[in-house]
Amino acid sequence: MSITVKNLVKIFDNKKVIDDVSFSVKDGEVLAVVGFSGSGKSTILKLICNLINLDRGEIETSLGDVAMVFQYSALFDSLNVFDNIAFALKERKEFRKKFNQEQLEQIVAQKLKLVGLEGIERKFPSELSGGMQKRVSFARAIVTEPKTILYDEPTSGLDPISSTLIEDYIVRVKEETQAASIVVTHQMSTIQRTADKVIMLYQGQIVFKGTPKEMLSSSNDYARQFVSASLDGPMQMLAE
Amino acid sequence: MRNFRLYFKQSATYQLYLLFTRQVNDFFTTLGDITKKTADVFSYIFKFEIDRKAVLEQSARFGVSSLPITLSIVGMSAIIVSMQVAGEMVKQGAGNYVGQLVTMLIVREDGVIMSGFAIISMIGSSLAAEIATMRVTEQIDAMKALKVDPIKYLFVPRVVSGIIMMPLVVIVASVVGVLGGAVASSIVSGLSYRAFFESVWYGLYMKDIQVCLAKAVVFGATIAIVSCTCGYNAKGGAKGVGIATTKAVVWSFVAIAIWDLLFAAAFFF
Ligand SMILES: Nc1ncnc2c1ncn2[C@@H]1O[C@H](COP(=O)(O)OP(=O)(O)O)[C@@H](O)[C@H]1O
Ligand SMILES: [Mg+2]
Repeated sequence: MSITVKNLVKIFDNKKVIDDVSFSVKDGEVLAVVGFSGSGKSTILKLICNLINLDRGEIETSLGDVAMVFQYSALFDSLNVFDNIAFALKERKEFRKKFNQEQLEQIVAQKLKLVGLEGIERKFPSELSGGMQKRVSFARAIVTEPKTILYDEPTSGLDPISSTLIEDYIVRVKEETQAASIVVTHQMSTIQRTADKVIMLYQGQIVFKGTPKEMLSSSNDYARQFVSASLDGPMQMLAE
Repeated sequence: MRNFRLYFKQSATYQLYLLFTRQVNDFFTTLGDITKKTADVFSYIFKFEIDRKAVLEQSARFGVSSLPITLSIVGMSAIIVSMQVAGEMVKQGAGNYVGQLVTMLIVREDGVIMSGFAIISMIGSSLAAEIATMRVTEQIDAMKALKVDPIKYLFVPRVVSGIIMMPLVVIVASVVGVLGGAVASSIVSGLSYRAFFESVWYGLYMKDIQVCLAKAVVFGATIAIVSCTCGYNAKGGAKGVGIATTKAVVWSFVAIAIWDLLFAAAFFF
């Protein structure tokens, strides 16, 4: 089991944002996590990535890096594309000894080629479009060859073509590296194209579990409401 | 009883109490965090895990970019003091002591504290805003996810450059201050440069210079650590960056004023 989450609980300001969530993702498998804004999807990723501490439960991931592709790319805006992608390789001891400048340039060029952005090494993040930034942040995340990859809304706010590109990378990287991946998304297209399994969160709890196909034809009220994007159903937008 | 509690919770007294406890709470949290970050930063420094190139870059920013403003603030305060006292002192027959007075003032207090204020407004605020922006745009999280410690990558070069550059800035600013004092005295009271500079030597004690440089090192480190920490703990969006920057400036001002008091108490009493 490459990612195993058991009875996870996270409390913010006395409120259970994640309430007893359990799931697992095998190597070479993609799990899609769907749900309303504020249902705790990003929090789950941050817990797995160890950016915040859990209050109860267990998280296990396989040895090696846990990479994260952030919702708004989170590129280092004072560094150019090359330094962004090579960041971990340049700053971490175990890699610094391993690669010289020439090798670094090769690796970065190869990652940029993977995301279809050859030759933009010297550009700065502010000079790139949103979709390009996403693709660069994708390249930056996979540069250490992680065994676990987390994507936070990788296709939100992108045009359909850019979305398809990103979806293709997610699948390609999964097949090449056999990493276990989690994709947080709102888009049915991303679920259909990338995911092997889906879980749906509502108010910090899992309300549906299944394959993308099962989700489409499910009689589960939550899944039906989500798929049909209906206002009627068990899930209600809570007024703030 | 329940009614009473309800009313109490709506009362101005309770609101003030909440505001007060929140402030106190925030004060001690911030103080504790600054202490912890200081320990983390120095543990890297003592292990010599310092990126020299980054230190060089930050030093250029810390020293060179702030120099015009530092020089004008220290220089002007020396000129103002000279203008105020030189005429009177010469009239009273104490012209021979003007240089000494100005020098003592600058070396003991003015040079380093005024440089500190200039550095806080130029460098401290920009460090805080920079790191706060990285925080609210998740760049700090991205760094952690890539398993690079932000303390090592962001804090250490900035603190080291503060420690190296602050004494240099203070030395240059103090020299310029004394020169400015000489020119101002000469213009205001007709005091000769020779009389001024002869008395400068009487105002210079080795101990004063040592304490001045020690203060500069401590101020440099303090400003860098406080500003970076306030930026690092920023929350929310653009507003959070603003709050963090203000906090960094206020905390740095108060911190170096307290350090100055401690130094004065420790070395001159
Ligand atoms: N650092 C935090 N402090 C307090 N509350 C938080 C924090 N992070 C997230 N939350 C709260 O947790 C809930 C889930 O947030 P999040 O995981 O970002 O949702 P999603 O990604 O599904 O939109 C929200 O109600 C949010 O306000
Ligand atoms: Mg989110």
